[in-house]
Amino acid sequence: MKRFLIGAVSALSLMSAAAVAQEYPAKEIQGIIQWGAGGSTDTVMRAVTPHAEEILDGTIVLQNMTGGVGAIALNHVANEDADGYKILMGAENPLLYKVMGFGDKDYSDFTPINILARGTPILVAGADAPFDDYAGMIAYIKEHPGEVRLGSTGPGGVPSVVTAMIETVEGDLDVISVPYDGDGPALTALQGGAIDVMPAVLGAAIESVRAGKIKALAVVDVQENEYLPGVAPVTATNEGFATYLPWGPFFGVFVKKGTPDDVVKKLEGAFAVAATNPDFTDLMETRGFTLMSISGDEAEAFLTKWQQGTTWLLQDAGMTKSSPEEFGIARPGE
Amino acid sequence: MDAFMAFLTIFTHPELLVLVGVGTFAGVYVGAIPGLSVTMAVSILISFTFSWDVLPAISLMIGIYMGGVYGGSRTAILLNIPGAPSAIATAMDGYPMAQRGEAGEAIGTTTVMSFFGGLVGIVVLAVLAPVVSDFALKFQPRDYMLLAVLGILLVGSLSSGSLVKGIFAGALGIAIGAVGMDPLTFTERFTFDIPLMRGGINFIAVMIGMFGVSEALMQLHHVDTPAIRQKINRIVPSFGTIRKHLPLSLQTSTIGVLIGALPGTGGDIAALMAYDHAKRVTKNPSRPFGEGAIEGLVAPETANNAAVGGAFIPMMTLGIPGDAVTAIMIGALFIHGLNPGPMLMVEQPDMFWFIVGALVMANFFMLLFGLTGIKLFTKIVEMPRAVLIPLILLLSIVGAYAVNNSITDVYWMLGFGVFGYFMRHYGYPLGPVILGVILSRLLDDNWRRAIISEREDLGRFFHGIVTSPLSLVLFIAVILIFASQTPLWTKFRKKETASK
Repeated sequence: MKRFLIGAVSALSLMSAAAVAQEYPAKEIQGIIQWGAGGSTDTVMRAVTPHAEEILDGTIVLQNMTGGVGAIALNHVANEDADGYKILMGAENPLLYKVMGFGDKDYSDFTPINILARGTPILVAGADAPFDDYAGMIAYIKEHPGEVRLGSTGPGGVPSVVTAMIETVEGDLDVISVPYDGDGPALTALQGGAIDVMPAVLGAAIESVRAGKIKALAVVDVQENEYLPGVAPVTATNEGFATYLPWGPFFGVFVKKGTPDDVVKKLEGAFAVAATNPDFTDLMETRGFTLMSISGDEAEAFLTKWQQGTTWLLQDAGMTKSSPEEFGIARPGE
Repeated sequence: MDAFMAFLTIFTHPELLVLVGVGTFAGVYVGAIPGLSVTMAVSILISFTFSWDVLPAISLMIGIYMGGVYGGSRTAILLNIPGAPSAIATAMDGYPMAQRGEAGEAIGTTTVMSFFGGLVGIVVLAVLAPVVSDFALKFQPRDYMLLAVLGILLVGSLSSGSLVKGIFAGALGIAIGAVGMDPLTFTERFTFDIPLMRGGINFIAVMIGMFGVSEALMQLHHVDTPAIRQKINRIVPSFGTIRKHLPLSLQTSTIGVLIGALPGTGGDIAALMAYDHAKRVTKNPSRPFGEGAIEGLVAPETANNAAVGGAFIPMMTLGIPGDAVTAIMIGALFIHGLNPGPMLMVEQPDMFWFIVGALVMANFFMLLFGLTGIKLFTKIVEMPRAVLIPLILLLSIVGAYAVNNSITDVYWMLGFGVFGYFMRHYGYPLGPVILGVILSRLLDDNWRRAIISEREDLGRFFHGIVTSPLSLVLFIAVILIFASQTPLWTKFRKKETASK
């Protein structure tokens, strides 16, 4: 009897192993979203996933797992089997975990399935701020040291990187940096006058800019943006920015490193097609994101470049806990 | 005229009507189960309704939202386990009523009052949305901080018996709320280098443990006592009762709308503040508060449902979420190709009026579903304890797991359950712990933001308070409420009444 059972069980497991190899997905896939419901990452992932499900002919159950600046979700997926049934839907910040001391894992423990899109940062100010463009803002800050309140979302967030960029290019600025829980609350505070200036992702701020509740000072990019005609890129005022731009936060889908190649290929195929769905591209457009949809070596190269540029920028601005060097992250250009 | 037609859309489209109804019905039950939250239900609906048109999707979400906020009161009254944080205050007088065999009356009153509060919220949304949202934007970090201090002072009303024990419990709550990675500096606090602690302690798990498990453990003491027979002849409160509580319910609904409209505070804080308000202004409650006072139900239930309309105010006028649920609904609008933001009201006013209409409808469905099936529900309390206690434990475990699909949360829940049992045993109130957890971050984050904004200069900070009318009013309220709880004030009041 016992022998029969062992035989039956091993036969079953062989069969299921064969099933996995042949027709992924053989069961529900769990998609772990690094950020809370209603945020940008959440919106992007919930918009693209149904299209990918259709192509995969399977189910992806989405779940938000927040906390620890997204590290909880990342570690959760990293601790599961590399079988493609847990996928991580994340944003850019894990690439900063090591230097910021938030964790010892980042996307180097993962295989990118698709880097879907990236955002463009812009500088916005309250509607009645005494300056209208980037040059005016810098001049005002220099004339009124310690008066301008700059919104931030904590170390490693988009505003902190943009601020580091500005300080590297312009020299130290005497401003008060007020931290908020995310760009939503910070932009609210900007409208209420609690802060004066805020580096934000274009998509998050665009509607309030259109309504005249806040004004756009500059696009943190090398060229003008089609959604903000007439707003100059920062490089128009100071060429020094060109070294670091274009830069922006991004959204991507990942699986744990070691996932079988055929599974990775299948997921890559599904998300690549899903990212061309007009519903999705329309959403990306209205929110002001630049569609990327890259995978494989191209995505790996993008991640490496992003991590090098950003970690060293933060390192030079003195905002990191440990040097990128300790983790073998080379200085850009070296 | 167009606005009126948009408002009527929901009433003239049977399929939308059905969706609001289904949503509300589901919401009542999702809300009643601790751990299953409206936020979770609405985010699942985003994927589920992805291929739908925008109006049916929104109809379903609004139904779930309205029903869910109300549903939390069910388990609060029947089992002393709030289905959601906004029902914590409801348990304080609702459960004692159920223990007296008045569960039917408690649920009936709750339903009618939730309906009333919901209606006030919707009216304010429809008529005053731009005014209220301008007001809400005026709240600076220091004002949020003062609001949180006002909230902390509620410890006095939430601790029956020893104030010292109440303060201890409140402080414990604040400490629990501070665990995890600090969102402003990303420094770890009280995590003892344990990676699992970085995400903080899930506050819903604390709530379920403290109320659910500790309740089950308490009941073990009288496992043989026969269950209380429930009177179910009086369910719908008489018109006289409603009229008697009209002034109070108008006041608490207003508290609900305003707190709900503030981005960063929601129905949970609104309900607790309303409860405290009722305790202050009610001279002769039907019974002492905490022992089954009707006023103790009226206040939080009007407030948390009024907060629903309130939460839509910044969402519709500014594209800023008033709470977690409206945050997800903003995401849903984006996915369906709309651009929620200040221009939505200008470019697509129909959407606004449609949502107002759907909210009205959901409110009526809530009344309908709330008043039916009460008999069946009250049977739960009539079950023998030997059956009820394991059920409560099971529900608590499932609920705690469901919040984040995390087994760690279940451990926390059980741990706090046992801890809560001993707290109760030694007369420490549990309400202030939850209050502390809710307010911990609001207080801490905003205090730091406020003082950072003033370059860490206390003088400039107080100058800011005195020169801003809003801050000044809040500051004076804090001082008055604090003073009214000191022995000095009580002595003074006694002398005054004696000399009269």
